[in-house]
Amino acid sequence: MNSPGFLDIVSFGPDGWGHVLAAGAWMTILIALAGIAIGSVIGTFGAWAKISGGPVPRAIAEAYTTILRGIPDLLVIYLFYFGGSAVVTAVGQFFGAEGFVSFPGFVAGALAVGVTSGAQQTEVFRGAFRAVHPGELEAATACGMGRVLRFRRITAPLTLRHALPGLGNVWQVVLKESALVSVTGVVELLRQAQIGAGSTSLPFDFYFVAAMIYLAISTVSGAFLNASEHWFSRGVRRG
Amino acid sequence: MNIPAKSTSPVAIGLRDLHKRFGPLEVLKGISLDASEGEVISILGSSGSGKSTLLRCINMLEVPDSGTIAVAGETIRLRTASSGKSRPADQRQVDRIRSELGMVFQSFNLWSHKTVLENVIEAPIHVLKRPRSEAIEEAEALLGKVGIADKRNHYPAHLSGGQQQRAAIARALAMRPKAMLFDEPTSALDPELVGEVLRVMRGLAEEGRTMLVVTHEMGFARDVSSRVIFLHKGAIEEEGAPHEVFTNSKSERFRQFISK
Repeated sequence: MNSPGFLDIVSFGPDGWGHVLAAGAWMTILIALAGIAIGSVIGTFGAWAKISGGPVPRAIAEAYTTILRGIPDLLVIYLFYFGGSAVVTAVGQFFGAEGFVSFPGFVAGALAVGVTSGAQQTEVFRGAFRAVHPGELEAATACGMGRVLRFRRITAPLTLRHALPGLGNVWQVVLKESALVSVTGVVELLRQAQIGAGSTSLPFDFYFVAAMIYLAISTVSGAFLNASEHWFSRGVRRG
Repeated sequence: MNIPAKSTSPVAIGLRDLHKRFGPLEVLKGISLDASEGEVISILGSSGSGKSTLLRCINMLEVPDSGTIAVAGETIRLRTASSGKSRPADQRQVDRIRSELGMVFQSFNLWSHKTVLENVIEAPIHVLKRPRSEAIEEAEALLGKVGIADKRNHYPAHLSGGQQQRAAIARALAMRPKAMLFDEPTSALDPELVGEVLRVMRGLAEEGRTMLVVTHEMGFARDVSSRVIFLHKGAIEEEGAPHEVFTNSKSERFRQFISK
């Protein structure tokens, strides 16, 4: 067998690495999407707690953002992975299983990315909400909208308008953070490139292709974010 | 035009002994007021007299510390929270009563992410659950009535202040309100745009709508309203038909106020 060349890395043929790298890229996207989705739920409640929660929710949200921003992201992933595994192992032993049961790496990774991006999204949403003209919210109250309806129809779209630039940054961070999830054994893009690099003599080529794929993902998603920013800023006078 | 206050008309809005305090400052010191159906009441007063707070208490944007508010005979139920503050006892009652009162704000407060038409149909569809087609039809008629039918697909940021305020009036009318509350509707407008908004309000008064108008427009108070109320430091200092109070007020403060 010939030693593979650069073209074999990007080829989707029988000897090519194209399909496994594509699968790795897909896993990267899934981790990032799950992470940002979990983070947006946390961020919404976190922002609510900081803006209009009582002293207890506010203190919890404050502690959460302070702690998460002060711990390395890699360590958060380890905590979720080994913490989750300890729980699963304990449950397993309760039902008679023996030995170490590992927590699914994807779930641990998505939760860890979600919890860290949730801290950032809390701040993004809080700042964005502050930029909404309070009179527009008061008008919604005055015509009899209940809290849920007002949030869905008025508060959320107006807040998103100001949040999207910040969310774009969070998304880029999440995309890169997803590479750290490889430590749990999840075969995402970086891990797949490592495997390729280790089993051929072409480490630079593999990491270069991986870098190009990361760049492509962030470029395409950046264009999508720009389009949404445009949509949510409708009615804003420009220039 | 003067519509004499008819005591035979049912009371649209009844206020009894309203008190409201912001920290150490007592803003309302026991205000009682009955607005009969079809009455147009101008609420005058210098800044800090409590006139906006009074209006905002009627639809619970401010919750009064004590006293009662009744809209179309239904009293808004209040309770005392554990913090000692007064709170609505039944939020759904408050939401329903708010939907029966059309509020027009000084700064228009149109929803900036929605077109003029979307602003007008939003609450009829989502709060009153009216069919969309019916809401659009009625909204278009209302926009025609306030003279901005051609702006229906524009966003508020692309309208003049006068057009925005007329859109806000159409939005309030779309709820088919039992009474309209105007909180200094022309105070944020350039002088040349005041007239177009006042004309629309005069038209509503002539239709026999119940209106409470906090205003600095003496011409409107004198010519359009059926009753004038002058607040001073949170209490009613002068009250009466405009032709009486403007020519022959017993209150020295009111005479000074209108001479400015």
